[in-house]
Amino acid sequence: MTPAQCPRCGSDGSTADFRGVDDGETVWTIWRCNDCCFSWRDSEPASAIDRKLRAGEFALDISDPGRFPVVLQPSNFQK
Amino acid sequence: MERADGNLRSNLAERARGVGSLRDFLELLEEHGQAVRWSDRVMPEPDLRNIAVAASRDVNNAPAIIFDNIAGYPGKRTVVGVHGSWDNIALLLGQPKGTTIREMFFDIAGRWGDASAQISRVSEGQAPVHECRHEENINLYDILPVYRINEYDGGFYLAKASVASRDPLEPDDFGKQNVGIYRLQIQGPDRFSLMTIPAHDMGRQILAAEREGVPLKVAVMLGNHPGVALFAATPIGYDESEYAYASAMMGAPIRLTSSGNGIDILADSEIVIEAELVLGERVFEGPFGEFPGSYSGVRRAPVFKVTAVSHRQNPIFENIYIGRGWTEHDTLIGLHTSAPIYAQLRQTFPEVTAVNALYQHGLTGIIAVKNRMAGFAKSVALRALGTPHGLMYLKNLIMVDADIDPFDLNQVMWALSTRTRADDIIVLPNMAMVPIDPAAVTPGKGHHLIIDATSYLPPDPVGEAHLVSPPTGPEIEELGKRIRQMQRGDVR
Ligand SMILES: Cc1cc2nc3c(=O)[nH]c(=O)nc-3n(C[C@H](O)[C@H](O)[C@H](O)COP(=O)(O)O)c2cc1C
Ligand SMILES: [Zn+2]
Repeated sequence: MTPAQCPRCGSDGSTADFRGVDDGETVWTIWRCNDCCFSWRDSEPASAIDRKLRAGEFALDISDPGRFPVVLQPSNFQK
Repeated sequence: MERADGNLRSNLAERARGVGSLRDFLELLEEHGQAVRWSDRVMPEPDLRNIAVAASRDVNNAPAIIFDNIAGYPGKRTVVGVHGSWDNIALLLGQPKGTTIREMFFDIAGRWGDASAQISRVSEGQAPVHECRHEENINLYDILPVYRINEYDGGFYLAKASVASRDPLEPDDFGKQNVGIYRLQIQGPDRFSLMTIPAHDMGRQILAAEREGVPLKVAVMLGNHPGVALFAATPIGYDESEYAYASAMMGAPIRLTSSGNGIDILADSEIVIEAELVLGERVFEGPFGEFPGSYSGVRRAPVFKVTAVSHRQNPIFENIYIGRGWTEHDTLIGLHTSAPIYAQLRQTFPEVTAVNALYQHGLTGIIAVKNRMAGFAKSVALRALGTPHGLMYLKNLIMVDADIDPFDLNQVMWALSTRTRADDIIVLPNMAMVPIDPAAVTPGKGHHLIIDATSYLPPDPVGEAHLVSPPTGPEIEELGKRIRQMQRGDVR
């Protein structure tokens, strides 16, 4: 399958993690973005998985990972 | 309200004591019209979310909903809303539907502790949870019919999983095993991230394992004994056992077995995922629609690698709707947030008569207390802020007299209207606060606000107003009944 573009960060690198199959027919595929960890199902409403329709405040720019808080920061953690 | 004669009451109590698993409880709920099967075909999104939200609008009476026809998940089942209404909580406690929140609070508080706990052991070979086992080529999506809980969540969450773990530095200590509900985001076929804070037991264990470089193994239990789920969400002491508390509350033994990676787990859970912390790694986690009714943002969270999965035959995947309230989160956690604060306060201040911390996991709480002397309620409030939960959750605290029922907001508002003065309000700025408080300027910091709405006592000037004592008692109850009958036209 050709990797899908991430609806959240726009990356082209994604992995198909699972296909839902009913009576031998694929009804949807779950994708995961290799860059921002977003996962989605390609059968979801467009407002959640179409990058152009998603609410702007839920887009993600991960070019500066250091700006995201680290949960339970390990003492030697390299941001 | 169900007809609650003595017979029904003792039958209900007996039935509740017999509940040893999710399946048992679903049966009990179905008998009382509190669980329904949804067999029309549904899409994972948005149908499951929509139906769960529609149900949870009825906080008093909503049933659990079992889905068994989900597109792309042939043969799989999922349930939401098991703790999704006060009536479901009442049945779990062995009480009739319609039992008031106040009655349930005192019932739970009366059963508090672990002195009468009974733990029984089942061998791994005999434990239903191990009926089916996967140790290779694990794909969580192949086992769990997950769906996106809120539209802009960062992925697929297990939001009602009880995570069991041993203290990484004292693995042989039973009491220091922890069971807690922490949100888990699936991060690929055999990995998930876990979100928590340093104040929670799981947070302490992750920090300790990474500091010392020792392994941290967990067993994620899904579809659990409904009494244990309540205690997984309860802030009890670090060296106390959630299983023991649950057994004492249910008045019945809790059946434990061992997970494949050596942790005490419930023998009758639907599914258990065994996993190990990947030391020092953090992955993008979130957003996730949370209990304050807002999304918590994207963070970099600890990640676990799955090592095995066990489950019952034809397992039921249990999940929850959580978001802007009321939701199942609130009915699940509300009384079990209030009762430990009450128990902990009464150790030093027996004058405390009730605690209501139902609102947003205790971001607002109301404590009723008999004032020992002027200003006493303020000291009690400060003590409440020092309880395990108070530390980072009790943001707004309203103190009322013992003649106010803190579960009756009309009475609380009366106390606020009539019993506060400017110097009864204390704001403690720049304190620790749970990071998902949407009002935070800096997540993790915030204020505590104490409003002392108890009445004045000397040496403060008490003012010249005297209380009206309206007539109460059986005579007034009878008159009320007669008026209602007249209204219905039964009596002329
Ligand atoms: C549905 C639900 C979801 C929860 N999610 C989280 C979570 O993601 N992280 C967290 O730290 N606590 C979460 N909690 C709260 C904890 O389970 C609760 O505070 C518990 O007392 C923590 O136990 P501990 O102090 O033993 O760690 C959740 C509770 C419920 C009911
Ligand atoms: Zn992405």
